[in-house]
Amino acid sequence: MEQRGGWSLAWRRLRRNRAAMVSAIGLALLVFACFPGATLWANYVAHHGPNDQNINGYVHEGGKKIPVVALDGTPIGPGLRGPYLLGADANGRDLFVRLLYGGRISLFVGFASAVLCVGVALILALIAGYRRGAADAVISRGLDLIWAFPVYLLAVALATSFAVGGIAMGPIHVSSQSLAIPILVIAVVYIPYVARPIRGQVLTLRQSEFVEAAEAMGASSLRIMVSDLLPNVATMALVLLTLIVANNILTEAALSFLGVGVPILTPSWGNIIEQGSAQIYTAPALTIAPGIAIILTVVSLNVLGDALRDALDPHARLR
Amino acid sequence: MTRIWQMLLLLAALAFAAGCGSSSSTSGGGSGGGTPVNGGTLRAGIPDNPDHLDPALSYTNEGWEILEATNNGLLTYKKAAGGAGAQVVPDIAKAMPTVSSDGRTYTFHLRSGVMFSPPVSREVKPSDFKYSIERLFQVDSGGVGFYTGIAGAQQYAQTRKGDISGIVADDKTMTLTFHLTQPDGTFLDYMAIPFAFVMPKGTPEKDVSTISQWRVATGPYMISKYTPKQQIVITRNPNFKSWTTDTPNGHLNEIDVSIGVTPDQSVTEIADGQLDWYFESVPPDRLTQLKAQYPSQVHLFTRNNITYFTMNSKKYPFNKLAVRQAVNYAIDRRALVKIFGGQGTPSENILPPGFAPAYVAHNFYPYNLAKAKQMIQQAGVEGANVTVWGHNTDPTPQAVQYMAGVLNSIGLHASVKTEDESVYWDTIATQKGDPQIAFNDWNQDFPEGQDFIDVLLNGEKITSVGNNNTSNTDIPAYNKMIDQAREMPLGPKRDAIWAKLDADYMKNVAPWAPFMNRQWPKFVSPHLQGLVFNGNYFELFPSMYLTK
Repeated sequence: MEQRGGWSLAWRRLRRNRAAMVSAIGLALLVFACFPGATLWANYVAHHGPNDQNINGYVHEGGKKIPVVALDGTPIGPGLRGPYLLGADANGRDLFVRLLYGGRISLFVGFASAVLCVGVALILALIAGYRRGAADAVISRGLDLIWAFPVYLLAVALATSFAVGGIAMGPIHVSSQSLAIPILVIAVVYIPYVARPIRGQVLTLRQSEFVEAAEAMGASSLRIMVSDLLPNVATMALVLLTLIVANNILTEAALSFLGVGVPILTPSWGNIIEQGSAQIYTAPALTIAPGIAIILTVVSLNVLGDALRDALDPHARLR
Repeated sequence: MTRIWQMLLLLAALAFAAGCGSSSSTSGGGSGGGTPVNGGTLRAGIPDNPDHLDPALSYTNEGWEILEATNNGLLTYKKAAGGAGAQVVPDIAKAMPTVSSDGRTYTFHLRSGVMFSPPVSREVKPSDFKYSIERLFQVDSGGVGFYTGIAGAQQYAQTRKGDISGIVADDKTMTLTFHLTQPDGTFLDYMAIPFAFVMPKGTPEKDVSTISQWRVATGPYMISKYTPKQQIVITRNPNFKSWTTDTPNGHLNEIDVSIGVTPDQSVTEIADGQLDWYFESVPPDRLTQLKAQYPSQVHLFTRNNITYFTMNSKKYPFNKLAVRQAVNYAIDRRALVKIFGGQGTPSENILPPGFAPAYVAHNFYPYNLAKAKQMIQQAGVEGANVTVWGHNTDPTPQAVQYMAGVLNSIGLHASVKTEDESVYWDTIATQKGDPQIAFNDWNQDFPEGQDFIDVLLNGEKITSVGNNNTSNTDIPAYNKMIDQAREMPLGPKRDAIWAKLDADYMKNVAPWAPFMNRQWPKFVSPHLQGLVFNGNYFELFPSMYLTK
């Protein structure tokens, strides 16, 4: 009853936060646009997919035939029309369609890597915080090692090495073209940033009377970690998850911009910016549009994450 | 892949106009004519280090552009734009060589008084030339293939001991004789390209790009300072005295090359007056704006180039002729030209138009996507995994994505792999790294069909490393024709063979999907005049001058 009461209270606090509600609605719309919306727009409005190249094609506008890509390579710009609403890229691909499909990939990579990161970080933090001793030393030093590297440097190094031949470890084979690689890389580099505060929380909690009581009753370590400690750090993990999703979307964009993120043929916001940067003077929409999409998503996630933290942790221990 | 990837075209009429930039009134002039002014420092920029500043090793347009101003060979190309610039003329040799009746012996007489720059500061001798050719083999030069026809060169290449018996140098009579194993119509060209530029006997048998005491010049300029990733400073050679009009004094006092200037940065800096000249072409997306805003500062040159996708005939599915032909039907060459900012003309020939009459346009593969799909089905390779390789310099990634999209649309399963351009060419030139299909780009080493067809498609020249025949094409009957053509003197009969081979290769073998002959747009300072665009050495520093 008390636990449900806590969540209920948090929900009430969250609802009162208008910025959070606007962000949540915005995110919901974005998710709708990128998932079912992308397919609907591509099939029923634009009539072409995100990778359909139409360099020598035309659009009819005001009784005129306008080339999708002009002879000097300049693509058509934004306009109030079904196909090529935001214009085309150098390969004659519809920017708006790519933006929607790219959002699908960026959101998926950001969310999946955040879930993986927080999941692994939770396990490590629970073991390190509860077991202490050698386990804590090994895990904490491992996290320190990752932490010692600048995030982007480590991410680029890992992504580059995997980009050559994928991952081949025993029975595990992951193609270099797989989305699993950027997901894994991004998850790994942020694990210390999530595991550290949770470990600290676990260290505090393990001194609590309810943990001592469970130990006195003969509960196993696994049971204590899962049944007693995990529920008490879940709210912190949830807040961190929200914040880390935003971070991971930015990291995906950065890695893709550097050519070591999402495979180049798969549209993602980072890839679209990278490919558009070659035409930043003649077709600025190619970089501005995905840039705005990233900014809106990240700001929304951060506002929501902050609000969630305030709602779940009114004493702001996470600040 | 050691190669000239940005060599320039010599098509006479086009280059005449190109040499004049936006104005067609002055041949070879950049932004107007007038009396050349001596003095001043040219502020130049380059995106990265040139590959080498050692004549034995440099094989890029950036390196050759500098070496043309600093070093000399027995022969040179006339320092002119257009077709005239393709003419081989004497340089350190007093006159063109005497050639024996069997076409196998070339005898050169050297000028006296041609000096090496400090710190060597002595006269150039025939033995220096002999040493320079032998040094190519010692340093694993990418240009050794041009000189293996000299008697004894093959053996020297294997043993690297003794000397090349087919080069006889007599320092007393200043005579140098080359004995060839068989006649070679382009031997004079080989003597005019930077690989044959003279270095002093005793130059270390390693890259001397950064060893200032051995980075010795004979030309009007010398490289005074080279700090990789930072700067190259080119100053006047105090030992130089002009000996022919084709080896002029030069007008500039100094050329300061800043390393690390990106193409976009170069445009901004030239527009702001911080830079005068840039080694590379204008970024495709800036050209339209610059032509409108600075019409007198934009110059469009045409190059003897072919840009293409090479298909590896030893790797599935491109080991099937039908697949290679299907790719040729499937690509829309006009679309690819657009990706390159319209800076080129569509082509499906191997040779560039500047090589006419060896160039005869053909059109075996009109754009036909449906036919391409059908051919892929009939070849039984639907769904085959294909990786399209390219480098990361724009707009190549877009072209590679276009090709991947095309391959997917005809039933293959394509992915893309891009590499940094600094390692890309070497990677695709090794058998181990040789991709299934890769972006490629070839510019003339010298203005003759042999430089394309023999170098790029002769199966006898397939090597494990430094392989220019990236498609691994090996058709014995065609190899034989190439070998026969090589032995013929330059002229219409020889050109006819190149034209036939161009057509036969594309029709019956389809080793490549050629798509464009590229142009070379440049944006320069309004003060920079005297731009002469030579197809072999590119823009000639000694012709440039600055006005106030």
